Amino acid sequence: MGSLVKEDVKMKPFSFTIERGKIREFAMAIGDRNPIYYDVDIARKEGYRDIPIPPTFPTAIEMWGGLDFETLIELFGLDPLKVLHGGQEYRYMGELCAGDTVTAAPKLISSFEKRNLRFITIGIHYKNIDGNDVLYSESTIIERGRTQK
Amino acid sequence: MSELTAIHKAQITHTQLVRYAGASGDFNPIHTVVPVGEKAGLDGVIAHGMLIMGMAGEALADWFPRKDLRKFKVLFSKMTRPGEKLTIKGRVTGETMEEDEKRLTGDVSIVNEAGELKLSGKFQIKI
Repeated sequence: MGSLVKEDVKMKPFSFTIERGKIREFAMAIGDRNPIYYDVDIARKEGYRDIPIPPTFPTAIEMWGGLDFETLIELFGLDPLKVLHGGQEYRYMGELCAGDTVTAAPKLISSFEKRNLRFITIGIHYKNIDGNDVLYSESTIIERGRTQK
Repeated sequence: MSELTAIHKAQITHTQLVRYAGASGDFNPIHTVVPVGEKAGLDGVIAHGMLIMGMAGEALADWFPRKDLRKFKVLFSKMTRPGEKLTIKGRVTGETMEEDEKRLTGDVSIVNEAGELKLSGKFQIKI
């Protein structure tokens, strides 16, 4: 069993406005050629209000919204050379499209050490402008080669 | 259980990792700066896990309407480096009722040309 790490890490809530250009850039980087991410007429024909976000786009919302790599390193006192992404989960409750503004409330779900690895899990609840839950994101990051104290 | 059509991705390049860093906002230098990757003991740069999950997300929105995706959860296995060619595989495993909705359940995985597992995950799609 791992040992719990005592932590009182407060992550600031943030908001983010989704833009068509950012979605296009993100889809292109993945090599995802689905036309719903590029052509608003096609997206609307498929039943979306505007260009929808790709399933993993919330990572861009988090990184560009304020919870980026450097911030996480600093908040949790991690060795940047030893951090890896262990797992990721998304639950989609509502449609998010270009033009929408979301607010994100991040919180620490768990933090523990097992052998010489440290596991940190962060959950983020997203709400739309009407205050409805639209998305939940949960990521687990792993710090390798941590020496037990 | 029914197999979904496998999707074959183009070879991953270092430039793609730089592009994904900018697009996603994840500027961890182990993904873009070779000497930093070497210092980290990774023998060069490695792809962002989220880029690999993004490819699985591409497959999901290819197999099903994007708007019907309800859950998507993955674990990252082996690291991916520039030069690798990945294939996304999926299958429908059954049906479930959640939040008063009938949903399909499925598995998704990503492997390289040697069959090395990069990612394994599960998804739910509203029927």
